[in-house]
Amino acid sequence: MNRREFLVASLGTGTAALAGCTGGPEGTTTTAGTTTDPYAGTLHVATYEPFIDAPSVSPGTWIKDRFEEEYPDATLEWLTPENELNHFVQRKQAGVTIDADVYVGVNPDELVRVDAQLDDSLFDVVPTADLTNYDAIEDDLRFDPRDRAIPFDTGYISLVYDDTVVDGPATFDDLLTEEYADTLLVQNAQNSDPGRAFLLWTIANRGEEEYLEYWQGLMDNGATVLGDWNATYTAYQNGERPMVVSYSTDQVYANRYDQEMDRHQIAFLDDQGYATPEGMARFAGTDAPELATAFLDFMLSAEVQSEIPVRNVMFPATTHASPPGEFTEFAHRPPETVIHTYEDLEGSLDGWVEAWAQQVVQG
Amino acid sequence: MGRSVGTASRPGVTDRLTEGLARAALPLGALATAAVLLVVFYYPVGTVLIEALVTDGRLDAAPVRDVLSSPFYFGAATGLVTDPLGVPAGIRDWARAGFPAVGFGLVGFTVYQAVLSTVASLLLGLPGAYLIAKFEFPGRETLRALTMLPFVLPSIMVAIGFVAMFGDRGTFNALLSALGLPTISLIYTLPLIIIAHAFYNAPLVTRLVAAAWENVDARMVESARSLGASPGRAFVDVVVPQLLPAALTGALLTFLFTFMSFPIVLALGGLELATVEVWLYARVQHLDLAQAAGLAVVETVITLGITYAYVRYESGGTGLARLGTGIDREPLLATLRDPRRIGLLAYGLVVLVVFVGPIASMIIESLTGPSGLTLRYYSFLVQRQIEGASFQVKPVAAVTNSVVFAVGTLALAMPMGVLIAILSTREFVGSRLTEAVLMAPLAVSGIVVGLGLLQGLVFGTDVFGHRLTATGPIAIVAAHAVAAYPFVTRNVVPMLRSVDERLLESARSLGASRFRVLVDVELPLVLPGLLAGAAFAFAISIGEFDSTVILAEGSASYTMPVAVERYLGNRTLGPATAMGTVLLAVTALSFLVIDRMGGRYEP
Repeated sequence: MNRREFLVASLGTGTAALAGCTGGPEGTTTTAGTTTDPYAGTLHVATYEPFIDAPSVSPGTWIKDRFEEEYPDATLEWLTPENELNHFVQRKQAGVTIDADVYVGVNPDELVRVDAQLDDSLFDVVPTADLTNYDAIEDDLRFDPRDRAIPFDTGYISLVYDDTVVDGPATFDDLLTEEYADTLLVQNAQNSDPGRAFLLWTIANRGEEEYLEYWQGLMDNGATVLGDWNATYTAYQNGERPMVVSYSTDQVYANRYDQEMDRHQIAFLDDQGYATPEGMARFAGTDAPELATAFLDFMLSAEVQSEIPVRNVMFPATTHASPPGEFTEFAHRPPETVIHTYEDLEGSLDGWVEAWAQQVVQG
Repeated sequence: MGRSVGTASRPGVTDRLTEGLARAALPLGALATAAVLLVVFYYPVGTVLIEALVTDGRLDAAPVRDVLSSPFYFGAATGLVTDPLGVPAGIRDWARAGFPAVGFGLVGFTVYQAVLSTVASLLLGLPGAYLIAKFEFPGRETLRALTMLPFVLPSIMVAIGFVAMFGDRGTFNALLSALGLPTISLIYTLPLIIIAHAFYNAPLVTRLVAAAWENVDARMVESARSLGASPGRAFVDVVVPQLLPAALTGALLTFLFTFMSFPIVLALGGLELATVEVWLYARVQHLDLAQAAGLAVVETVITLGITYAYVRYESGGTGLARLGTGIDREPLLATLRDPRRIGLLAYGLVVLVVFVGPIASMIIESLTGPSGLTLRYYSFLVQRQIEGASFQVKPVAAVTNSVVFAVGTLALAMPMGVLIAILSTREFVGSRLTEAVLMAPLAVSGIVVGLGLLQGLVFGTDVFGHRLTATGPIAIVAAHAVAAYPFVTRNVVPMLRSVDERLLESARSLGASRFRVLVDVELPLVLPGLLAGAAFAFAISIGEFDSTVILAEGSASYTMPVAVERYLGNRTLGPATAMGTVLLAVTALSFLVIDRMGGRYEP
């Protein structure tokens, strides 16, 4: 029963993709020959939990309210399964129906991993011609060559350091010197997004052959790898170490919470920052494809894109956003952006992380 | 409770009916227990572990062999699997090389840190049991009721408390330097992980051993003394044998918990001190389920093997006659010129640093903003309660759910645990193995149980074309009860075994049915164990996280620890620590209530 559903879904995907190529996805839904309003009904949007329920800021409520204003016949329902994207991969593997239409917050390494897990794609190809804001997306953030995941915001991984304790390091090599002994906190790349991004950055910087040697140097110089971002940031705020791998938007928070700016300085090693775009995608087999596409377009609109920096404290993914002064003043953009392509990561990611983790454990 | 008096005087049809029901109660209860276990434990876990044994429909256990032959996991011990015949030669070469240090890989390190943590928990827990059982002082009952508090704290809270207390910039080092002592750098080291493990598990040792100690018959010690034994001799010969099962239970539980420890290890020690569970989690996250299952099987064989060895040992203990007279407690503050009391004073200082310190740090964190004292994080909780969207976790709902689930867990886990305790004391072929397998919820990794619940219950199973799923509050309570009953069982079994057979025989010869003997004679005799078991079951339910979030439907069934995690904001620990403090307060109050209610039945 489910097998057939997938078959139908993937056939549909094929046509949609084809239609996308020929440039005219005008066709209103033909599925049951009904003429119901495609922009009515409930849209189930799955995301990671802090996106809708963090005590500091979370854009969930605002997005829901604005979207429902824009599409008065639609209701947006948030879903936050504990295992995030894995939840849907596992459901698909088990042949259980997927009860969501859109996923918000898929990043490049997750997409690669999801694709490696499944024979049929979890997401379908977005008919990008239907996205009026598609062209506004920054080119270097388009991480999915097949346009299933559409970027809606991005962070840049950098170091955050306490200027009252250390001078900002300028290069990756600096971190290996005596001056930076026992100073750096990093997250575990096995299960933390910023941790994995930092690891990928070192691989981009040092190369596939050399990165483990670089890490040996880092660990010998007293870097500490903790479980997740929260653990590292708590330790950093308590002054246990003066540097932590984090996002280059750090000062936006420091400003909001009246913290000392000296303790929240940003260092872009080798004048780089590793981009961590977040994408949104339609689940293959969604029964609300038009509404889902409308939601993606809504997320790319100038209004939402200008609000993302405020409520998700991330950089917009488009060129037509105008973030408020609070953001532009305190969020730092790296001089040079680094990111691995989908093809780079495909087939390599798991091996890189595993080799890294084994080396850290064995010291 | 006087139940026996009322029914004994009125024989008749109803009485015979009750008797019949009572007779059927044990087998019926066993059946119900088996059903619950099957649905929320053995079946779900089975769906995960089968992946380790069967590949493409063939039974070949390749993932297990991969783990066993990996030097990363087993270090030098892999030779036992890859080249068993070469082992003697290997040992000879090692001896010739002058016994250099040998690594036993990730598994070896995991066992090592668990053994150290167990020793530390015993060292820190046993004096507490001595204090509570042997001395009378104001607040003793309260202290006993609150011993289990650290056990329910979410690991995020403990990590926050520990960094604030034991960090290089922490309170402990500030105290040391204020006293003119050299500071110590503990953070990101193995000793700090061991202290954190002791923080969680020493209370467990205290609770278990104190319950056993309070059950030691004072008259036996007196007779030993009157027969000329010195106090030390009487202690070693009479008291120690009766405490040993409880102490070993504490050691077993601590070993199992710390062997499978994971978030605390990563938060306080970092990846360099990773345990097997860290790797298991990474495997599951990457959906390498066959590898994860291989690792889980190896892990479970170790934990279940240790449980089996323990159960065998424990059943060998002889039943010491006991008539249930409480021990005499000495007033604690009678004198201070006494080495025992000076020792306890020193112990009190250690307790202040290890237990009170981190908890107090966490509470202080909830009251401290960027510019000094503040109540803003508590007003955040109030505001979230009033204005929060339907899809957000609200504090009051979290508190209510936690308490309701915990009471439900008590209601389900107590009879389950007692029933399995009774089964455990019966002798039959393979009884020890059965007993060990019935303790499996203790021995299987929480990550594996969570994955199993997801695959087996949330995704459901096809039965005759219908997909059966089980989620929501009832499934959560059942899962909590399954995690909790082994604690009830382990608290009750040693006491049940120590009940004097002659006492039961005389009751039976006076006409009491087997069930009556159980309810009227045996259970009251093991009451301290039941009470400790209840505290454990309640604590397990309150602290449970993994299966709760997996089985919860939407945000409606979220509990206090889930709320704590949800309120962990970007760059501010305030809301999470405020919620953690609420958790602490609600749990403390609950423990006091349980103890009060249980105390009413004490002999």
